[in-house]
Amino acid sequence: MNKQKNVMGMIKRMSLILGCLLFCFGSLVYKVSSASGAPAAKQDYMEWGDKYCTDKPVRGGYFRIASPYYIGAMNPNHFPVMDWVTMSYMYEKLIVLDGNYKPTIPWLAESWEYINETTVIMKLRKNVLFHDGSPFNAKSLKYQMEWILDDENAAWTKSWLEPLKEVELVDEYSVKWHFKRPWGAFLGTMASVPGFMISAQALEKDAAQKKSERITHELIPLRRKARAEKDNDKVEQLQKKITNLEEQLKKFQALAQNAKPLDTNPIGTGPYMLEAASTDNYITLKRNPDWWFGKSIGKPEMPYFEGIKVAVIPDPSVRLANLKAGELDSIVLNPVQYRQVKDDASLSVVTFPVNFLVYNIFNHAKGPCADIKVRMAISHAIDREALVMGTQQGLGRVASCMYPDDHWAHNPNLKPVEYNPELSKKLLAEAGYSNGLTLKGFTVNTPEAQAFAKAQMAMLEKVGITWKPTFLSITGMIEPFKKLDFDLFCSMYPWIQEPDQIATLLYDPKSPFNNGRSNNSKAIELIKTGRETTKEDDRRKVYLELEKTLADHFEDVWLFWPTAVLASSKKVKGFNLEMYKNLGESYSFSHPLWFADGRP
Amino acid sequence: MKRYILKRLLYSLLTLWLTSMLIFAIARILPGDPVQGVVMASHMGAVDNNVIEGIRAQFGLNQPLTVQYLIWVKNFISGDWGVSIASGEKVFDMFMKRLPITFELFVCSVLWSMLIGFPCGIISAVKHGDFIDRLLSAGAVLGLSLPVFWEGIILIYLFSVMLHILPPSGFVPFSDSIKGNLLSIAMPTFIMGTQGAGLIARYVRSSLLEVLGQDFIRTAYAKGYSEIEVLLRHALKPALLPVATVAGLTWGYVTAGSFIVEYMFAIPGLGRMGVNAIFSNDFPVIQATLIIVAINILAVNLLVDLQYGYLDPRIRVQS
Repeated sequence: MNKQKNVMGMIKRMSLILGCLLFCFGSLVYKVSSASGAPAAKQDYMEWGDKYCTDKPVRGGYFRIASPYYIGAMNPNHFPVMDWVTMSYMYEKLIVLDGNYKPTIPWLAESWEYINETTVIMKLRKNVLFHDGSPFNAKSLKYQMEWILDDENAAWTKSWLEPLKEVELVDEYSVKWHFKRPWGAFLGTMASVPGFMISAQALEKDAAQKKSERITHELIPLRRKARAEKDNDKVEQLQKKITNLEEQLKKFQALAQNAKPLDTNPIGTGPYMLEAASTDNYITLKRNPDWWFGKSIGKPEMPYFEGIKVAVIPDPSVRLANLKAGELDSIVLNPVQYRQVKDDASLSVVTFPVNFLVYNIFNHAKGPCADIKVRMAISHAIDREALVMGTQQGLGRVASCMYPDDHWAHNPNLKPVEYNPELSKKLLAEAGYSNGLTLKGFTVNTPEAQAFAKAQMAMLEKVGITWKPTFLSITGMIEPFKKLDFDLFCSMYPWIQEPDQIATLLYDPKSPFNNGRSNNSKAIELIKTGRETTKEDDRRKVYLELEKTLADHFEDVWLFWPTAVLASSKKVKGFNLEMYKNLGESYSFSHPLWFADGRP
Repeated sequence: MKRYILKRLLYSLLTLWLTSMLIFAIARILPGDPVQGVVMASHMGAVDNNVIEGIRAQFGLNQPLTVQYLIWVKNFISGDWGVSIASGEKVFDMFMKRLPITFELFVCSVLWSMLIGFPCGIISAVKHGDFIDRLLSAGAVLGLSLPVFWEGIILIYLFSVMLHILPPSGFVPFSDSIKGNLLSIAMPTFIMGTQGAGLIARYVRSSLLEVLGQDFIRTAYAKGYSEIEVLLRHALKPALLPVATVAGLTWGYVTAGSFIVEYMFAIPGLGRMGVNAIFSNDFPVIQATLIIVAINILAVNLLVDLQYGYLDPRIRVQS
């Protein structure tokens, strides 16, 4: 099961990296000031006038974008989801993040309040329908949370809900959340994947179908055993069990009648719903005429596009060629392609920081990197600015720790580790490697990851460290991770939102994603405190301290936070870069784009 | 002739059997538990031992390796090719969806390579030593040696970005739009066929040159036949015999090319399915893809061998 979790984690992470722009096309609503609980009275309503966009929105047209991967599973809690951009058109979260990645913006949840440290009361938005016509309400939310927590449903998000004890129904549109212990990360969790609301009706049918399959599998050996068994008593016992299972099977088969698997038939509340899908080729979404948000603010013409077509184009240069040829309307580029488009008069090209982290993981459990002096030597040997210039065309910010510099949990007092090859050599000698050091390692076999690794190989070589990483597929990494057969591994963590998630995943010894087996007792204590602290100011102090602790121990090599490059046809209107930079996904979820000519 | 056909058929089956064992062994050597794969693919979650045992029994994974192999072969023949770990789809269904796309590309590419390769080879041989021979020979070498990926990028920028004549990528099914379909496969077909065309042109040229230097050709000229008559009535048939083998090789080139071309042009065919499966270690799909590629190559080689026997009486006599 660990292997499965590892694969899930790696694929999820890498798919998130490549999916990137969840935040670019979407929506918000009201802004409140406190992440710790109750929304503030003042709601910072979004700008809809000329300050936002001088062009007037026009309805019509199919928005054509591209993704390197086919979407994969279309239930966000299932694995693997390869394209979160498309996912976010179909599903909406309870809460969305503001410009500092704080979960402060009510979306499907209208308001919430911490009654005490282990109880939150949440009011839900009324008049919201799922794509199958069923209502979004307290019952559907409760069912979904229980569905995630049920092992049988294989939701990879289950561990994120571990502190949840119960969801209590208060009335049709209110729930009371009960936690096992104080849970500071609750709102952040509801602003991430478990918070994507799915039709309970569809989940129930899907679960019944899965249960039917499981029982069918279970019956095979039992029937075989019953046939082979000679002892009458045992045969009777087995027969009883078989009859019981057969009855259950009938029940679930009846429930699952006409069920369409959620993994291929998504049912959310989002502005678009599935129209057609062709594996590895494209996915087409059509406008949801019942989308609640536009109606709730007096703009029923939202969303403006008639639909969205996501073409699957694996090669980045072919994606760019499609954009230039007018076959696509918008794409996310690799930073190395920036120069090719920045002066193109037919395109609008914008760059903005993203909440991803490129970093190296040390093997803390065995080998030379268990020694802090070696970790320091490696860290000082890497010229992060040169890395950003060389591999990202200068688009990126040198990292000082894990949380991005615009994240509320980031410690602004930390400085990136200084590039100092002389100090690095000295530290290596002190650690007993004056004649040089050879490190094992690997990285994922994408061109980007290979570029990061190769640039670092040359830097490390200068101080006498030979690191020759092998380039492996995501699944190929399972074995070396399991056997701890590496010293240094180059990776990327996308979508840093709720600070507890990345901290727990990377530095909690119990996490299946703590591939470097980091075991820093002070950091572990701080992570636990951060998770259980519900007051925002206190939580922030904990995370500043956590970053300082990790930096002081050279726990990993944090390299840089990337910058995204978005190129769009000039016909695409409605994207206000400044608002996006200030308001993050809260802006993008509430401000759908449109075509200047309302293309049919 | 019957004996010859039987012998070829047996050789092909033997090769297929050995290949299938190799593919089976490779799939078992790959790290990872296939049952975990099935559980992951079907999102069945935390399952107890009974369920795991059920799945093992269903796939015959609780049996000795030889029995497992036989079950796999039996399942494969009956159309049960397993479930994709990456997408959860049935591999056979995935295959059937993609087969028409790749088949269309294959046929068009091979036709294209023959359409270009044969005339170029013949002209080159007839005009041996002339400027046109050098030009065509250089073209054939270029066609053979140009990296498919580079060729693709150049063509996309030329025909799609600059001239706006062809779509840069994607596939339009024939049933949706005939024009759209032909436009969408134009560049992939050209690229996949170019390598084969270069190969055919070079073989036709050298084979024809060899035949044109033989005594019976001189005799034909002495009889007063024109150059065209000599070429068409006497030289071409014997010269094309070895080229039949090359046609088989071309099929192999096209197969290999489809992996890159389909990936690059975002065509949802079998080649791309194979590439994705390799990237994600999706072993049921890798297994099926490899065995299909093997059957494909073996079938074409068998046809070439049979055709060879039909065309060349010496082969029939020897066999």
